[in-house]
Amino acid sequence: MFELDLSEEQIAVRDLSRDLATRVLAGAARDAETNRRVPDEVWRQVFETGLTAPASEDHGGGGIPDTLTHLVALEGLATGDPGIAIAAMWSGGSALLVGLCGTAAQQYAYLPRLASDRQGRGGVALYEGFGRAPSEYQTRIEHLGSGTWQVAGTKVAVPFAAEADPLVLVGTDPTTGELRAALIPPDAGGVAIGPRPEHGHLGLDAVPLHTVTFDLTIGPGQLLGGPGAAAGLLVGAVGRLRLSVAAAAIGCAARSVEYAAAYANERIAFGKPLAAFQGVSFLLADAAIQIEACRLDLWRAGVRVDAGPIGGLERAVSHAVNYAGSVAASVTRDAVQVLGGHGFMRDHPVERWYRAAAALSTIDFDPTYAAFAPAL
Amino acid sequence: MTVSFELSDDLVGYGREIRDWSVEAVRPYARYADVHHAAPDHWRQIVETCPVAIGTHDRRQVKRQPAFAEGKWVRDLVVTESLTYGDHWISNVIGAGIGHLVVKLMGTPEQIDKWYRPIVDNGGQTAFGLTEPQFGSDTSMVETTATRDGDTWVLNGTKMYCTYGGQADYVVVFASTDKAAGPAAIRAFVVPKGTSGFHVAKFNEDKLGIRSWTTSELLFEDCAIPVENQLGWTGGDGDGPGPAPRTRSGRSGALGALAQNKPNISATGIAMAQASLDIATDLLQEQRQSFAPHRWSLVESDLENMNAALGRARLVNFRAQWLQDLQRANKTEASVAKAYGPPTCERVIRRCMQLLGPDGASTDLLLEKWYRDVKILDIFEGSGQVQRIIVGRAVFGGADRVA
Ligand SMILES: Cc1cc2nc3c(=O)[nH]c(=O)nc-3n(C[C@H](O)[C@H](O)[C@H](O)COP(=O)(O)OP(=O)(O)OC[C@H]3O[C@@H](n4cnc5c(N)ncnc54)[C@H](O)[C@@H]3O)c2cc1C
Repeated sequence: MFELDLSEEQIAVRDLSRDLATRVLAGAARDAETNRRVPDEVWRQVFETGLTAPASEDHGGGGIPDTLTHLVALEGLATGDPGIAIAAMWSGGSALLVGLCGTAAQQYAYLPRLASDRQGRGGVALYEGFGRAPSEYQTRIEHLGSGTWQVAGTKVAVPFAAEADPLVLVGTDPTTGELRAALIPPDAGGVAIGPRPEHGHLGLDAVPLHTVTFDLTIGPGQLLGGPGAAAGLLVGAVGRLRLSVAAAAIGCAARSVEYAAAYANERIAFGKPLAAFQGVSFLLADAAIQIEACRLDLWRAGVRVDAGPIGGLERAVSHAVNYAGSVAASVTRDAVQVLGGHGFMRDHPVERWYRAAAALSTIDFDPTYAAFAPAL
Repeated sequence: MTVSFELSDDLVGYGREIRDWSVEAVRPYARYADVHHAAPDHWRQIVETCPVAIGTHDRRQVKRQPAFAEGKWVRDLVVTESLTYGDHWISNVIGAGIGHLVVKLMGTPEQIDKWYRPIVDNGGQTAFGLTEPQFGSDTSMVETTATRDGDTWVLNGTKMYCTYGGQADYVVVFASTDKAAGPAAIRAFVVPKGTSGFHVAKFNEDKLGIRSWTTSELLFEDCAIPVENQLGWTGGDGDGPGPAPRTRSGRSGALGALAQNKPNISATGIAMAQASLDIATDLLQEQRQSFAPHRWSLVESDLENMNAALGRARLVNFRAQWLQDLQRANKTEASVAKAYGPPTCERVIRRCMQLLGPDGASTDLLLEKWYRDVKILDIFEGSGQVQRIIVGRAVFGGADRVA
């Protein structure tokens, strides 16, 4: 059935997350960035939404939302601060993958704790850079025989690498050529965590990101879903995680349009509000036009994720992610532009969104989705 | 003469020498300047190692820059890009600013001798105080007032975002001599550092980028300056209070000075983008084996296209300043140059970060810094939109048709 309205439940989630974004996240954004960590009180409030550890009621959580609902929640939170929102989502990646792809024993072992520990962190070692999509990941999770598996590879932008319990590593099983994931406890040997950049990151300082090199052996119990795990489930869950970066980017872009529009309605130049000049209003109208297309593309990809491992899913996800990254980077840039010199000051949040959106656009970038284009 | 885009070997060599120095001596302190919102303490020693003559904002350099066949303004484009290629914190300690350009355009011969000559001959730094809290683009909204009191002008008002304002030898302040007479009564006044009633309310703003550049808020409280500090002052009929003849109004002088500097702004952006591109190219080459072949070929074409885009931005800059050197009209070309380069420079830096992946935006590299720095270039000294209004006037054949 062709249906383009969100469900009532999804609308409620959107409204709740936007409310939390406005009340809590927006005010905490600067603190999270300066201290390079989400303040405990804020984390606790985001925890209540279930985003930091989505788990079914059987495991003590509030249920695992479908992908679209998840993306809607994240977009809403990102209107407050994309950094805190993505930190929560990435942390929740552990519970999400265990809940969707783990064995019953793994779910029992991890989820009740994750769903009740208000300050616990998870994390997924997913991205490799070089434009690689998951089907091209070179990190190997390989059966060596006699119940031993070799895990080897390097991952970039690994959130909470030092504290995630468990850290979920996604790689390729060379025997089948399909995706596999491993559960890595925080004290595991053979895990080399690179330093956090001394002066932070362009725009994602609320979450520690590290380059991590893995070279260790694990037992079958640490294979997500066990040795016979169905790769299709993992493909979908990984698609959801990748799309969440797009959702955060769109939330940030949408908020920056609102902010810049409100400013342009108030600020007077040449005897009129800035909004009365098409040089200004068209920038924001173009932004709104792109965000609309971008969000629908994201939603469609989100719905496809839940429809199971159908052909073309990975590319659909990559399109949505790359388009959202480039739209959000250019929209937030235009929002700074609309505030003029004032947009360049840290007194207004548009400069933070400019940084965050550009940083998000580097996470899962693949040059095959659009060539470089000069501004003019 | 046939058209030729070849710069003389001399100028190319001169630029290369400065650029190499900038990479070696200036770039190592780029992160420092960003983190501390200031140049390194020993910047003077650093400047002294420069193989060519550059003045500093507080100590005069007697040696002058050599002349080249291309002319001063074209030379300055090459010098600007080369100096800032390492990092542009250097501008804040050596840059002359643009206040003296207003003196040159609007001053009497005596004023030019007193305030313009020493800056270009010996170095020194000047500031340009036009923007106020309530306006930037719309320069008719000047609220700062200048009131005659005997042999003095008394200034009252607030200027904001004034580059070098807190440290410059003098600030050229734009103030209205008669609110009722409208924008024509806005005049330019030279206010030397340390004048009583001239307060630096805020030395530097907390900014997205160019953090080591001084961006000051200035307060003028019954700040009295001699009448002859009004640019264009002759003691005759055209002097304030009241409307000035069009060519001598403060606004036309302000806008004229900005026009001269516009291509230099773009050249600074080209320096940041080219530096990002060169760093990214080296890193990507090292990582070549990690890219799938079909993807690597796209990386290569992106790199080539970005270099080509920066090359075009240089061409429009050269064209504007070549006209300037020949003292031919270049108002439109200067606006073309300023509108064209900066937004593409932003995109080049962003694309380079993306090609490098998440580490491209880490503070371990300078690209993220330049991505923050570059954004101002399409905003100050006339935003991209304001440049389009100026270009539009040329396209449509008149000021009245474009707003
Ligand atoms: C780091 C820094 C250094 C600076 N240095 C100096 C300095 O040395 N001296 C000085 O005097 N000022 C300086 N400025 C101020 C700068 O020149 C102004 O910020 C700039 O002119 C824009 O003005 P505004 O910020 O008031 O933006 P506004 O004029 O409020 O404009 C906001 C937005 O609306 C757009 N806009 C405005 N009018 C129109 C229109 N008619 N049609 C279409 N779009 C329009 C603008 O392009 C901009 O995008 C500096 C600013 C910064 C941030």
